[in-house]
Amino acid sequence: MTLPCGTRNYNYSEDMATVRTGTQWTMLIVFLALLFTAPFFLNNYWLSVTNIIGITLIAAIGLNILVGYCGQLSIGHAGFIAVGAYTSAILTNRLEMPFLAGLIGAGVISGLVGIIFGLPSIRVKGFYLAITTIAAQFIIIWVINHWGLTGGFAGITVPYASLFGFEFRSQSSQFYLIIGIAVICVFLAKNFTRTKVGRAFVAVRDNDLAAEVMGVNLLFYKLLAFFIGCFFAGIAGSLYAHYTGSLNAEQFSFTESILYVGMIIIGGLGTNLGPILGVVFIRVLQRLLSGELVPFLEKTFTMFPAGFASGLSPMLFGLVIVLFLILEPRGLAHRWNLFKAAYRLWPFSY
Amino acid sequence: MAELLQYTITGLSVGMVYALIGLGFVLIWKSSSVANLALGPIVLMSSWFNYAMFIEKGLPLYVAFLLVLIFAVVLGWVIERVALRPLIAQPILSLIAVTLGIGYFLEGLVTFIWPASTAGFGDKHIFPREVIHIGPAIVSQEYVWVIGICLLVFFLLTFFFRYHRMGIAMRATADDQMAVQACGIPVTRVFSTSWMFACVVAAIGGILISSIGGISHGLVDTGLKSFSVVILGGLDSFGGAMIAGPIIGLLENLGGGYLTPYLWGGVKDIIPFFIIIIVMVIKPYGLFGEERIERI
Repeated sequence: MTLPCGTRNYNYSEDMATVRTGTQWTMLIVFLALLFTAPFFLNNYWLSVTNIIGITLIAAIGLNILVGYCGQLSIGHAGFIAVGAYTSAILTNRLEMPFLAGLIGAGVISGLVGIIFGLPSIRVKGFYLAITTIAAQFIIIWVINHWGLTGGFAGITVPYASLFGFEFRSQSSQFYLIIGIAVICVFLAKNFTRTKVGRAFVAVRDNDLAAEVMGVNLLFYKLLAFFIGCFFAGIAGSLYAHYTGSLNAEQFSFTESILYVGMIIIGGLGTNLGPILGVVFIRVLQRLLSGELVPFLEKTFTMFPAGFASGLSPMLFGLVIVLFLILEPRGLAHRWNLFKAAYRLWPFSY
Repeated sequence: MAELLQYTITGLSVGMVYALIGLGFVLIWKSSSVANLALGPIVLMSSWFNYAMFIEKGLPLYVAFLLVLIFAVVLGWVIERVALRPLIAQPILSLIAVTLGIGYFLEGLVTFIWPASTAGFGDKHIFPREVIHIGPAIVSQEYVWVIGICLLVFFLLTFFFRYHRMGIAMRATADDQMAVQACGIPVTRVFSTSWMFACVVAAIGGILISSIGGISHGLVDTGLKSFSVVILGGLDSFGGAMIAGPIIGLLENLGGGYLTPYLWGGVKDIIPFFIIIIVMVIKPYGLFGEERIERI
């Protein structure tokens, strides 16, 4: 980690500190204060955007641990989110368990399903694994659509989240729940990647054979990566279920999975900042497109057949993913670091 | 018995189409080790293009077909030149993700140009529809046509790879990229040719399968299902794809026909994905794929 000019580490605790200088502390606290007072100055429309961003962020953090840190490409993340969402829905609706049980249960079940579909990762990697996760996505959606317990095509309703007797009904109360968990997840992920397990993941990503020779148990760590990645997905799914109130397998399509991969690539793979930037970028763009641009275009260009502009957002996202991979494969996080370095060294950036 | 024969023939013909599309994948994988996950949208797009030329513009079939081929060649060239050329020698993750991005873009483009999600060929179908009797079974003639055309394309491709200069260069590139470059064969041109070929066979596959079932978004899934063909046959084996295609088609149709009463509906569409998982666990490099031995 680069430090501001003139800052030096004199002991290990300073070296290990996540937030190092007073300025960083101030900025963090100001940011958190702004974040948690957001319901007071954001209207419901933008609060719903932030809520979706928070949910997506939790899932993207999981995917980033799996893909960015452990190098196991998964293109079925929406499927694992669906597992979490439906687990939570079944636990709270059909079995009438409390929200917290649904949340934890969703994470655990999702993680276990992730382990099942991650099993081939012991023998194969790269494209083979990508195909396996695509297959997982389709199989999961098929099961959801046809299993009686999940409500099938008709969908399932989910009660509001409630903790200690308090029910999260309004957008702003949901905001605190979702963003609270998202902040905890960001913190956990940041610290997790510095632990023994996190370093083992990076070793597996860089060269799994070399890691195995160095004594990293591949079977254990690859499956652990799938468990953790899908655990986050399950938590996100559970929150999503309780946020929207009703579930349908359409919400967890294959294109959504592609979008998740796109988010972490745009943000920057294998960085802690990456998922945040990528998720905010994609979700805000998506909302702007579907909320503002598409209706405008549909109204302006009436000579085209109806519905033509709905193809616009996939086009744009596909283009953004391709352009980022070609022009800035290290993602927005790298750009941000470049900006920070330039800011610190200005005007003597030699 | 009649039922079984019917399932067999439909399965064979659909499987042949899968094999054709899978062949396009193998082509690209062998020559440039790029996993083309944009196959589904390419199939969808070229089927729509065929529909636009054949039905909307009302061109005669052979003109429309020729235009589709030209379109596919251009599409393949553009994709390779614009998106994949700058990413040569990047990690496999970027290469997979970039084809995902391309696929997403093409799907959006299809919705942008043809917002109607489905289209049928109506009266103006490509193949004659009179039924024929094969033993006790009654099948639409289309299926037999599809099988015939697929076999023809297989043979043409085989001859191309055996005797044409470019075909030989492509096989050589698949064998050893560095050596080929040292011999003065333009590797980049081999890459773009393989993309053109892949798009052309995907387009032919799209025309064939949409002539039977009409055009819908399910064609993207057809492209995805053809991955089970390449997984079963081995990623770098042409012969494997040709053999695995009919196997997948047969399993899909027989399974769909006989298992649906016992399992949930829609089992037919999910069988290829189950096959992927099973192959991955038992024999990850497929029936004829080359097992890679890695060095550190």
